Amino acid sequence: MTDEGVNWEAIFFRDGANGTEPDGLGLSPPDVDLTRVWTGVAAEVWRRRPGPAERLAARALRSPGLARALVTTPSLLLGWVIATLLVLAAGAAATLGTGTPYVALLAPAVAGAGIAYAYGPGIDPAWELSQSTAVSDRMVLLVRALAVFGLNAAVGLAASGVSGLSGVSGSAATVTFGWLVPMTAVCALALAAATVSRSANVGVAAGMSGWVITVLAGQADGGRLTAAITDSSLFLPYLAFAACCGAVAWFATRIPRGTS
Amino acid sequence: MNIELSELTRRFGRTYAVAGVSMEAGPGVFGLLGPNGAGKTSLLRMMATVLPPTSGRLRLLGRDPGSPGPRREIRRRLGYLPQNLGYYPGFTVVEFVEYFALLKDMPPGRVPRAVAAAVEQVGLGDKAKAKLRTLSGGMLRRAGIAQAIVNDPDLLLLDEPTAGLDPEQRVAFRAILRGLGERATVVVSTHLVEDVGAACSQVALMDAGKVVFDGTPGELIARGEGSGAAGDAPLERGYSAVLAAARSVPATRPAAGIQPGPENRA
Repeated sequence: MTDEGVNWEAIFFRDGANGTEPDGLGLSPPDVDLTRVWTGVAAEVWRRRPGPAERLAARALRSPGLARALVTTPSLLLGWVIATLLVLAAGAAATLGTGTPYVALLAPAVAGAGIAYAYGPGIDPAWELSQSTAVSDRMVLLVRALAVFGLNAAVGLAASGVSGLSGVSGSAATVTFGWLVPMTAVCALALAAATVSRSANVGVAAGMSGWVITVLAGQADGGRLTAAITDSSLFLPYLAFAACCGAVAWFATRIPRGTS
Repeated sequence: MNIELSELTRRFGRTYAVAGVSMEAGPGVFGLLGPNGAGKTSLLRMMATVLPPTSGRLRLLGRDPGSPGPRREIRRRLGYLPQNLGYYPGFTVVEFVEYFALLKDMPPGRVPRAVAAAVEQVGLGDKAKAKLRTLSGGMLRRAGIAQAIVNDPDLLLLDEPTAGLDPEQRVAFRAILRGLGERATVVVSTHLVEDVGAACSQVALMDAGKVVFDGTPGELIARGEGSGAAGDAPLERGYSAVLAAARSVPATRPAAGIQPGPENRA
């Protein structure tokens, strides 16, 4: 009963959620449950085909639910990604024109905003509903934050490479990769602020203001705008700060034990 | 028992939203009635494992939701419709229901058929491919109900499920509830006493964070007979009579008047 690869018998006579097999003698028309038939047809017609990114994520994460949550991240949607590309492209152009590493200065702030808008109440419309599902919302947050961080790091590195970094003060390697460390700290700060306050806007404000203050403090102290990304003595404090913020975010997203 | 609550409290600052509720519920449709601010939504959110209790004992489907493993197992078998349903405007009805089916850890092979069945069950078949932003409030509510029932839950928690539904849809929805209640525990929080009368086998009435009545709809009706309480329908008179009686009792400290006492238990 197959026709052009479609097993209509399977669609029409497959049983429902209880998983029982239909009686082979019961395939005559009077025994056909039209509701079940229609549900089978509708399931085939309405079935959504996951895109390549979602299929890859489902395999990597071993969870179709987590993969679906990942591809619906607000700050990974096309509009946001295009905006990120435009900002960093403008930074690359400005770097080429002035010699100041604007890409390195912009990337942490852009990534911090993306992380704050990855997941949470007010950002995810069905956040409360998501909290009641088997896939842990903490895991969703972690996967989304890592994906946003990875994308921003990759775009930032590409923009750094394009800008060529000619004439930039400091070693090329430090300027090209050095901002990844402060970016980690800014992202962690934005994540912690967003999860504690339950507001993405607060997360963005905390991340951006923290980074602006750090850059301006570096300039005031050493007279260089790039001190915040080229001073290697700051890397350890950045990482320690990122670890503390990560711990705060982890604590803020816990569900307290001991309900009994 | 699918739901076991003992002395359950939830405090926000100095305010007790739920002031020591004890109840048990097995399969059937359980109505949760009460005025605004009675604590129904907080109680439902605790049962949905979204809001941790401040104190007391909570067991769902025979498990303690305070531990990660059991909580995950509970959530696999849970359906929840919050009072304020958030939705993704760019999702279609099918995508929305499928999203939550996947987040509930349903086997991917079962998802398309379960989604189709849930969407058909709430009467949204002709809107299956419509974006959520194009739907009316009542249709969005039905999409919310579809995601709640997509995993064929053993515990279904519905907060104001009939808000925004027209009379015809409400009648159809009550039939769905009765069907689900034959196997699962369905808890329906509502302001609408007629929903309780038509669909629920058991009803609890909450006021000021406490359960002030626990019994059958028939027993609630009996409370209103001859009481002179206000109401157009027998259930409404019972509702008013129980509330009036509860409020005439002098206030005690929150944890004291917790469980429905013998005088309130029908």
